[in-house]
Amino acid sequence: MAQIEIRNLHKTFKDDPVLKGLSLSVERGEIVTLFGPSGTGKTVLLRLLAGIYPPDAGTISLRGRDASGSPPDKRGIGMAFQNFALFPHMTARENIASALTARKTNAGEISRKVEAVAQLLKIGHVLGHSPRELSNGQKQRTALARALVADPDILLLDDPLRNVDAKLRYEMRLELPALLKRVGSTVLYVTQDFKEAMALGDRVAVLLDGQIAQCDTPARIYAEPVNVGVARLFGDPTLNLIGVAPQLVDGAPEIRLGGSRIRLPAGYSTAAGGRYLLGLRPETLRLVEAPAPGTVAVELVAVTPLNEKSVLLLTMQGGEELLASEAGDRDEPRRTGPAHVAIDRDALLLFERESGRRFIPAENGEVAHERIAITSHR
Amino acid sequence: MSASLSLRTVDKIYHPRGRSAVHAVKALSMDVERGEIVALLGSSGCGKTSTLRMVAGFEAVSAGEISLANRRIERLAPAARNVAMAFEGYSLYPPLTVRENIAFALKRGRLSASEVSRRVQEVAALVEIEPILDRYPNAISGGQQQRASLARALVRDAALYVLDEPMGQLEPQLRAVLRGRLKRLLKDRAMTSIFVTHDQTEANALADRIAVMEGGVLQQFAPQHVLKEKPANLYVATFIGEPPMNVFDASVVRDAGRTTFELDNGPSFGFGDNELAPEVRQAIGNRRKVVIGVRPHRVALGNGSAETARVISNQWLGDQSHIAMAVAGKLLVAVSHARVRAAIGESVPYGVRAQDLHIFDSDTTVALAHGARAA
Repeated sequence: MAQIEIRNLHKTFKDDPVLKGLSLSVERGEIVTLFGPSGTGKTVLLRLLAGIYPPDAGTISLRGRDASGSPPDKRGIGMAFQNFALFPHMTARENIASALTARKTNAGEISRKVEAVAQLLKIGHVLGHSPRELSNGQKQRTALARALVADPDILLLDDPLRNVDAKLRYEMRLELPALLKRVGSTVLYVTQDFKEAMALGDRVAVLLDGQIAQCDTPARIYAEPVNVGVARLFGDPTLNLIGVAPQLVDGAPEIRLGGSRIRLPAGYSTAAGGRYLLGLRPETLRLVEAPAPGTVAVELVAVTPLNEKSVLLLTMQGGEELLASEAGDRDEPRRTGPAHVAIDRDALLLFERESGRRFIPAENGEVAHERIAITSHR
Repeated sequence: MSASLSLRTVDKIYHPRGRSAVHAVKALSMDVERGEIVALLGSSGCGKTSTLRMVAGFEAVSAGEISLANRRIERLAPAARNVAMAFEGYSLYPPLTVRENIAFALKRGRLSASEVSRRVQEVAALVEIEPILDRYPNAISGGQQQRASLARALVRDAALYVLDEPMGQLEPQLRAVLRGRLKRLLKDRAMTSIFVTHDQTEANALADRIAVMEGGVLQQFAPQHVLKEKPANLYVATFIGEPPMNVFDASVVRDAGRTTFELDNGPSFGFGDNELAPEVRQAIGNRRKVVIGVRPHRVALGNGSAETARVISNQWLGDQSHIAMAVAGKLLVAVSHARVRAAIGESVPYGVRAQDLHIFDSDTTVALAHGARAA
C-alpha cells in the first residue's frame, strides 16, 4: 500500500490548467523528489496534498485512506514551504517547539528534540534569535526543523534549501537523506536543481506539462529518459540534440552526422526511415587525435571551465554546434583547431522527432525482428 | 595592455560617525585591463556589491581613488562616468515600453533611427526578449525585466559595463545559453566589464579573472584555474570549487626522513621525503600545527590506499559520484567521474597523494604549499 497515492489529479486556475491528470504514488519511508521547470505546478501539487485547496478532479489517498474533504490540520502532514511562515513574535527555538507543544509533549523532551534537530541543521547557535534576526537560509532551516521535529510520517518539503548559501546547501545535500531516513518519514521534496533531485531522491518524479512524465531512480532517469523533455532537464551542460534520419546501409542502421557516417547498434534497425533527434550527453563525447569509424570531424572553438570539468565547444561541418565535457585536469590545455570527436554508441539516445519519445532499441537486431514477427501474427 | 579601470586603496564605511559603523570595503586596490571581464565573487555581505556601486557612482567612496581610462571618476555623477550599467535597483522607466527603454540608452549617441532600431533588435535577440519589446515593464516577469535591463546596458557604447548579478533571476537552462552569448559579445567587442555574482559557475564561465572578496577584503584576484590550484588562503580554498576543498587541522610530526600529518581525532597521513618535495618541507618549516586540504576530485579511492573510512552518503549525479565519508569527526568528500558502488555504512579505502596536498598556516590561514610547490 502506497503511503501517498495520487490519481488523475486536475487543477485549473482561471483559464490556466496547471495539473492535467497527474498520478503518482510514494511508498512508505520513500523519498521522492519532485522536479521540473518553474511554473509547472510543483508547489500547487504540494498544496493540494496538504489540503490548502481542493482539486478540480482526481483523488488523493494518504496512508490508504481517501483524504478528500479532510481539512489541512487533520491530514497529519509535516510541511516546510518556501515562504517560511515562521511566527514573528517567537524565537527560532519557540518556532520549532511549536510543532510539539500542540501535542502536549513534556518540556524536557521538547527541549531535547529541538536541540537535536537544530544541531543537525546547523542552527543550534541561533535558536534564541527571532525570525527577523535570521538570514533567509537560517529561516528556511528553522522552518525545516519545525517540520522535522514532530517526526511526521508524511513530510512535504518545498525547496527547503533554496535560499541557503552554496556551501551549506551542498553539505545539507549530503546529510539530509540520512536524516530523513532516520526520521523514517515518507517524503515528497520539491526542488528546482537537478543535482539536488538526483542526490536526495530514492526516485525522481519529473513534472512536465501538468503530468508526471517519469518517476524513476536517479540513475535510470538520467540514462533512460522517457522523452526528450525529461532528458533535457538533467545534465550540466545539458545534452546535445541534433536532427538525424537513420538509414539502413548494408542492413545496418546508420546516421549522417556532420558529414560523417556513424553506425548505430543493431537494435536501432527499426528506426530507419524515420525522423529523430539524436541526444548526445556532453560527457560521453571524447576528443581523439585521428579519424576512425564512429568519429566526426569537428573544430574545437572554445574551452571553458565548468566546476571541475572543462566544456569544449565544437562545431561540425555545416556549422552545427556540439558541447563536450571533460573531467579531470590535463597537463597541457587543449588547443583550439581541427579535431575529431568519438561518439559512444552505447550511450547515445534517440528521440522521435514528432512525439519526443525515446526510441527504445531492441536488445539486439534479431530480437527486434522476433518481436515484430510476434506482433504481426496476432 | 593598459589598465582601464583602476581602484586604489578604496574604502567604504557606512555610518562612519555612528556607533554601528560598518567597514564594508577595506583598502581595495585592483586593476581591470582593457577588454577584460572581471567578476567580483563572494558571499552576501563580503563587500562586492558596495564595490560595484562605488564604481557605478551610486555610492561615494569613503577614501581612495577610482580611475577609468586614465580619468579620475570617484567624484563624478553616475551619468558623467561613461559607464553602462544593469542593476537590480536601477529599474526600467515604467512609462516606456521595453523597446523604448533600450533605445533611450542610445539617445545621446546621435545615431540614425534605423541604426538605433537595428541595435535594439540585435541586443534583444541576444537576450531573447524580442516578443516582449512592445510591452511595458510592469507587464513582464522579473526575469524578463532583468534581461531588458541587461539589454539596455549592453546596447550602449561605454568605457565600462557594470553588471549586478546579471542573470540572478533566470532559469538555469536559459542562464547557460546566455552566459555563452554574453561572453562572446563582450569578447568580440572588447567590452571592459565588471560584474558581481555569488555564483561561482557564473564567474567561471564569464570572467577572465575573478576577485574573491570576504569581510570587505580582497582575498585573491586571479584566473579561475589559479584560484583552484593555488588558493591564496583557507578562505579561497574552501569557497572555490564545487564541492569545496576538504580541510583538516593536523599536527606535523617529522621523523627520520618522513613527514606525518596527524589529524585531530583522526587518521595520519605520512609522506617520505621522496614524496614530499624539499621546498614543501621547507615551507612547513618548524610548524607543529597546519591545516591540510585536498580537493574532492583528488581524493584517491580504492585498493592500494592506506586508510579506510565509513561511507555516510553516496550520490550518483549521472556523470559523477559524490561520496561523503566520516573522517576525523567531519565529512571528507570524494568525487569520482566513474560510478562508485559503495553502500552507506560500508568502509572504503581512500588516500591522499602528496601531489594533491594543500597546506595552510593554522594561525594566519595563508597557503604554505600546493602539491609539489611552495605557495
